[in-house]
Amino acid sequence: MRKVFVLALALVMAISMSGLVAAQDTVTLQVWTGSSSDAENAAKEAQIAAFEEANPNIDVELLISPDYGTQIQASFASGDYPDVFTVGQFDFPSLLDSGVLMSGEGMIENPEGVYPSLLDAFSSEGTAYCVPKDFSTLALFYNKDLFDAAGVEYPTAEWTWDDMYAAAETIANSDAVADGVTGFSAAADRNRWLGFLYGNGVDIAGEDGMSTVNSPEAVAALEFYSSFTTNGVGARPSDLEGSGWNGEAFGRGLAAMTIEGNWAIGYLENDFPELNWGVAEVPLSPAGERGTLTFTECWAVGASTEHPEEAWALVNFLTGEAGAMSVATAGFGVMPARPSAAQAWLDARGAEYEPFVSGAEYAVAPVFPLGYGDFTAAFDEGTNAVIAGEQTPQEFLDEVAEIWNEITEENM
Amino acid sequence: MATQTAAAPMKNSNAKLQEAISGWGFILPAFLILFVFMILPLFVAGYFSLTDWNGRRPLTSPDPFELVGLENYQTLLVSGRRVDDFYNALKNTVYYVAGVVPTQTAIALVLAVIVNQRWLKGRGFFRTAFYFPSITSSIVVSMIFLFLFSNTGPVNGAIRALFPGYQNVSWLTDNNGLIHNFFGLFGVTSRTAPEFLTETEIFRISLWEWISGPSVAMFTIMVLAIWTTIGTMMVVYLAALQNIPSHVYEAAAVDGATQVQIFRKITLPLLRPTTFFVVTLGLIGTFQVFDQVYMLRDEQTRESTMSVAYLVYDTAFNLSDPRMGLASATAVTLFIIIFVATILQRRLVGGDRPVDQ
Repeated sequence: MRKVFVLALALVMAISMSGLVAAQDTVTLQVWTGSSSDAENAAKEAQIAAFEEANPNIDVELLISPDYGTQIQASFASGDYPDVFTVGQFDFPSLLDSGVLMSGEGMIENPEGVYPSLLDAFSSEGTAYCVPKDFSTLALFYNKDLFDAAGVEYPTAEWTWDDMYAAAETIANSDAVADGVTGFSAAADRNRWLGFLYGNGVDIAGEDGMSTVNSPEAVAALEFYSSFTTNGVGARPSDLEGSGWNGEAFGRGLAAMTIEGNWAIGYLENDFPELNWGVAEVPLSPAGERGTLTFTECWAVGASTEHPEEAWALVNFLTGEAGAMSVATAGFGVMPARPSAAQAWLDARGAEYEPFVSGAEYAVAPVFPLGYGDFTAAFDEGTNAVIAGEQTPQEFLDEVAEIWNEITEENM
Repeated sequence: MATQTAAAPMKNSNAKLQEAISGWGFILPAFLILFVFMILPLFVAGYFSLTDWNGRRPLTSPDPFELVGLENYQTLLVSGRRVDDFYNALKNTVYYVAGVVPTQTAIALVLAVIVNQRWLKGRGFFRTAFYFPSITSSIVVSMIFLFLFSNTGPVNGAIRALFPGYQNVSWLTDNNGLIHNFFGLFGVTSRTAPEFLTETEIFRISLWEWISGPSVAMFTIMVLAIWTTIGTMMVVYLAALQNIPSHVYEAAAVDGATQVQIFRKITLPLLRPTTFFVVTLGLIGTFQVFDQVYMLRDEQTRESTMSVAYLVYDTAFNLSDPRMGLASATAVTLFIIIFVATILQRRLVGGDRPVDQ
């Protein structure tokens, strides 16, 4: 009787062990990302399917969430978060600080092949924590018909801030241009005008934590950007027949120029096929430099994952040369994060969009360091006030510089 | 000893026990839902308001947050750099409540009295039509308002058709306060206002800003809120009106009371408990205004349409600098404000007092 019992026990153990072994053979990864256009979601699903095909032992459970930010924040809070997920540049500092990102040290394949400015946006003290998957930059959109009507030459590579202002002024005042059409659509948004600030050689963080955001160069940049609206040769999109954003005001032919990102390409092509427009690099600052902004997103591995090898394999698959190539050839608004795939993107999208790719060389990710949230809040408020002409750039920038310095002193 | 007591009480207590068990059993599902989704979060929010948790650091990690005492309340209410954010949101919310609650209550009462009239043809149709906005998703209604009130939308179009010289008002993005605009008619603007108004600051907001009134953009949100809530309030009033016995009216008619007298001396007093209910619901609902603001706001109207409830969300789920502790403190403060406001209006309207007959 006892023998039978022992035998049965051994059998049970053997079966459960083999079950364990079998379970170790297939690994399941939870992968979360935010929802964008249908086409882009479908492309993400296709990429994951290709990965599963190539790695039969890895099973991916993909969640494309329409309310990604809130959902993933709740999962971080509970400690039960996915193995692999996407992170935006603005979230990165706080997520790094929260300890939910696994270090990519030694895990990322060929990091040299990624645009350095993008990898920097997701690095801390020389270590990358997250691999950029794609990015966007800002460039100057111009309406060829409006330029022709007012007899203004199209923007060139030598264009300066003054040239841009002169063009806007001529077009806004031209009799050949309809009333209500303005020279430049200027959104009251730091993520549009900061490019001019960086282009004029300003480093907001300054030295020793004392901000140079109120330096003469910074003031000049904001004076330039806000002069369009305050002098009436440009307008905020909402003042252009209630347009929701720069792209809409520009698409409806209400502004001859605007500063927008490559995401506007598809929108303009689909919604305004009649519009005759072009793209140029942002104009040169008085310092003789260009400055634009970059917006990027990356794939990260959760610090709590039980399968780091498999998770990094997936991230490398999604962000490596092949992944970059599939982003490029799909021809979405976003550009691949590796220069090696830039040409493929231009081939798919159109060679005339070169200015967005060139922007990657001098683009800055406009992310402020962690702990400067009060600065950011004041910055957004003041940007609104300055563009609306309620405050001068000098007053506003002095105010926020003081806030920055206060925060620095408190944290010392 | 106790076991030797008479059988009757024993049986009695057994029955009582059974009754208690079934009683608790019946309320258990509702109690659990209330406890998990209302009571527990209240205490959890109260606790988090004493921490510096960012809402992202896993609670399972070693030190997800530090206890900071009342620092968040200090930051929010007394001397923090964002103290003006809170008082600005509070100012907007108070103007919102003061505008929406009396208006929606009054209109709901008038509508209820109208659709309660026997002579009205198609009463069913009107009741349904007035109630319809209340059962429509507030998101859908907001989308419709976005369309109606856009610069080139039907509202501006209709006004221009009536008044040819009319300059389009940007209903959704205009930050100017209504009271400021009113002063502006008499030439009083921020530049010409008396110095004590523009120079005196209370909680980093000047007196002149405090008396701004709701911004035009906020006003549009108020119109939306009034339009959607009237229906619900009307149904409540309608039920109360139909509960007033007809002999009271007959007696008044025999005594020769006019319609106005009947309404003022009979209908209104008899409706007092209902008015208390409607105003309380209105107060609580409007102080917590969120979804309408979420849908209709714009980066440009960030300040002038910021409500306290939206500030809670904005603080807790900020991309680059989420602060769950501070957001919880804001939420707890809002709770206290609503609590006090409800008690005050209970005193004023007197919903707990019996109706004088």
